[in-house]
Amino acid sequence: MNTATPVLSMRGIGKSFTGVRALDDVSLDCQAGEVHAICGENGAGKSTLMKVLGGVYRPDEGEILLGGRPVAFRHPAEARRAGISIIHQELSLLPERSVADNIFLGLEPTRGGLLDRAAMQGGARKLLERVGTRVHPDALVKSLSIAEQQLVEIAKALALDAQIIVMDEPTAALDERDAGRLLELVATLRREGAAILYISHRMAELKAIADRITVLKDGKLVATRPAAALTPAMIVRLMVGRDLADFFPPPGDPTKLGPAVLSAQGAGNAVLAEIALELRAGEIVGVAGLEGSGKGALGRALFGDEPFTRGRMTIDGRDGLIASPRTAIAAGIGFLSDDRKKEGIAPQQSLRDNVLMTLRAFAQRLLPPGSGAMARAAADRQLTEVDVRAAGFAQEIRELSGGNQQKVVIGRWLARDPKVLIFLEPTRGIDVAAKAAIYQLMRHVAERGRAILMISSDLPEIIGVSDRILVMHEGRIAGELKRGASEEDVMHLALGTGQAEAAA
Amino acid sequence: MSAGADIATARPARDVPVAPLLFAGSLALYIATALATGQHAYLTGEGFVGLTQRMVALGIVALGQTLTILVGSIDLSVANLISVSAVLASFIMKGEPAMIVPAVLAVLALSAAVGLVNGLIIARLDVNPLIATLGVGLILQGLLSASFSNFAGSVPAAFQAFAYGRIGPLPWSVLLLFVLAFAIWLMLTRTRFGAHLYATGGNRDGARLAGLRTERVMIGAHVLCSLMAGLTGLYLASRLRAGAPWVGRDGVYDLESIAVVVIGGTLLAGGRGGVWGTLAGVFLFATLDAVFNMTGIDAFPKQVLRGAIVILAVAVYAVRSKGHVA
Repeated sequence: MNTATPVLSMRGIGKSFTGVRALDDVSLDCQAGEVHAICGENGAGKSTLMKVLGGVYRPDEGEILLGGRPVAFRHPAEARRAGISIIHQELSLLPERSVADNIFLGLEPTRGGLLDRAAMQGGARKLLERVGTRVHPDALVKSLSIAEQQLVEIAKALALDAQIIVMDEPTAALDERDAGRLLELVATLRREGAAILYISHRMAELKAIADRITVLKDGKLVATRPAAALTPAMIVRLMVGRDLADFFPPPGDPTKLGPAVLSAQGAGNAVLAEIALELRAGEIVGVAGLEGSGKGALGRALFGDEPFTRGRMTIDGRDGLIASPRTAIAAGIGFLSDDRKKEGIAPQQSLRDNVLMTLRAFAQRLLPPGSGAMARAAADRQLTEVDVRAAGFAQEIRELSGGNQQKVVIGRWLARDPKVLIFLEPTRGIDVAAKAAIYQLMRHVAERGRAILMISSDLPEIIGVSDRILVMHEGRIAGELKRGASEEDVMHLALGTGQAEAAA
Repeated sequence: MSAGADIATARPARDVPVAPLLFAGSLALYIATALATGQHAYLTGEGFVGLTQRMVALGIVALGQTLTILVGSIDLSVANLISVSAVLASFIMKGEPAMIVPAVLAVLALSAAVGLVNGLIIARLDVNPLIATLGVGLILQGLLSASFSNFAGSVPAAFQAFAYGRIGPLPWSVLLLFVLAFAIWLMLTRTRFGAHLYATGGNRDGARLAGLRTERVMIGAHVLCSLMAGLTGLYLASRLRAGAPWVGRDGVYDLESIAVVVIGGTLLAGGRGGVWGTLAGVFLFATLDAVFNMTGIDAFPKQVLRGAIVILAVAVYAVRSKGHVA
């Protein structure tokens, strides 16, 4: 570490919200050409710290120094003008505007008072090249994949010529290949002298990219260490304050597998072809694949959200393609969406209302107080079973962390106890402790004789949790791997460069 | 998973009992004004009955509007449907007591059909509810204006009992309003449809993936809302003794019904709220009417005040619901 004045220095930052201490005496700095990673559980204060830096919140205590000079931002625009660019976890692009419009949003070049379209086009093209994407500047943002949008978001940061770039879980929505590209880009930016604050939950990424790592917990700084001095286990221990010995649950017992509860032969639709699979009671089957491989579409097809249009399906001994989510649920399938906000929770309703939603969907017409679908007791039992941490079960679900929200949605399904559960990205954007809890919960459900299809972009999770792994490539199941397969095995199949192993 | 690992988020003071507070505040304003202006007639039993009677027309349509807003939709066609219902009722009745039942049935059937059309356009064609119901409302008004330009027919004396008749000291119409409110409250809290209404309004995609038939819920809410508008039309025909094609528009029932629902604490986005808040909002508007009558101030400041109250209510709810998100 050199001793030059850091580009960015935050000193003793404190911030409270209505009595809750979100940040308490947090100090960190970042040099030019350094990647400083910040990790911590959800609610540890990472996002609040970044919002203080970005001018969204004003700190109650402490100061921010840029190149040694104290600054106080009253508005995000001031932080941007000072050369701080924040790439938020949730993309902030305008879907109906073009890529170039988005990149130059708020910085539109003008000539004679009019928008200089040519300059925007040319500038956007250069920036897009720099981030390594072939997206056209005139393309509408809504037509891009999530990965491409993430790159446009970074190009937008570069347009600002920011010296300080903050990335808040930039790879959360990306698959392994796109995440790898993004990390290369981060390395390039570092070489060019940017100071980068990088928030992530992914251990492999932290090892690959970070120079220093700061761990936050409950709004306080736990430690700042050189990345080389930390192992993933040490980071996790610092984050949760103890060991996570059983991060992944033990595998299922292959001798205790029950009969097939769901199977498909030659099934397909607009994006899927020749899908053949069988799920047996008691197993967790992982589905891996790159973005666009059809792994999400597979889950939605089995659940009838975007149904199969050909082929055969058998559920619990009965034949027939599923035409809608409702028929899927009636047949004994449950489904966890990968978009918790849009397709999962009713944000402004209570935990109880959220956990009872599916029971109520199939309840009798009149709901006497105390009946199954209305009873507090039943809701509370379910919420306790999935170990939701909340101030109270009447609390609005939007106030909870992502992990606890996810537990509520899982509880919604467990309340109905379907034979088959389809989980899409079950731990996306969730902190480590909640991840471990969800894995344990999944194994527990499988042991009760239910089958789980876990569709995920998180390779360590696929490998650590699944009893066997299906890998998808271009709308087909490219192969099946047994438990114990390596990340490379999965990637070979996912990229279409490997050979399919014989099914077990 | 130690219990100490999570930070308890402080709950913003959100569970303020909106309905009783609004009700008590309005009542206090009413009594204070009556005392200050020395118009003690307003404080007799008859005075209070008059106050509740001011609630009926807006109250019934606002109950319906509560349902569409709860489900995450909205209905801008109610004012025009009220006009159509009032005119249709008095046109069919033509002063004949024998035609009361057919007229009422025709109005309710037409209202249900309008609600069905609204619901189908919104749920099946995925048209924005503002646009869909605005369009349907314009169509209704256009058809009505093409056929009638003045009072049409009349209602027989027997039907006027709906607005003017009493059971003991209590007008039938006020009783009807409270019976409807109670029935809808029961439906919202004790039936599957009620639970589905909240769930669909809370997150339409999420509810569908949880197994709800959200289209039916959406359509059901609109049918009920239009039926309420039809009832309001019948009530107005009874009170005015004939239907006129401008009764709905003049009452601004579309915007006012939305305003009282929002004042009553129902989220404009759907998923949260209920009938008692709406009734309290209606009571507040009725009180303002009475207060302006007592003080003899003309109608324009009243509109300004109503506007200010709507904005204030929404602002207060917005500030209160801004929970801290770490």
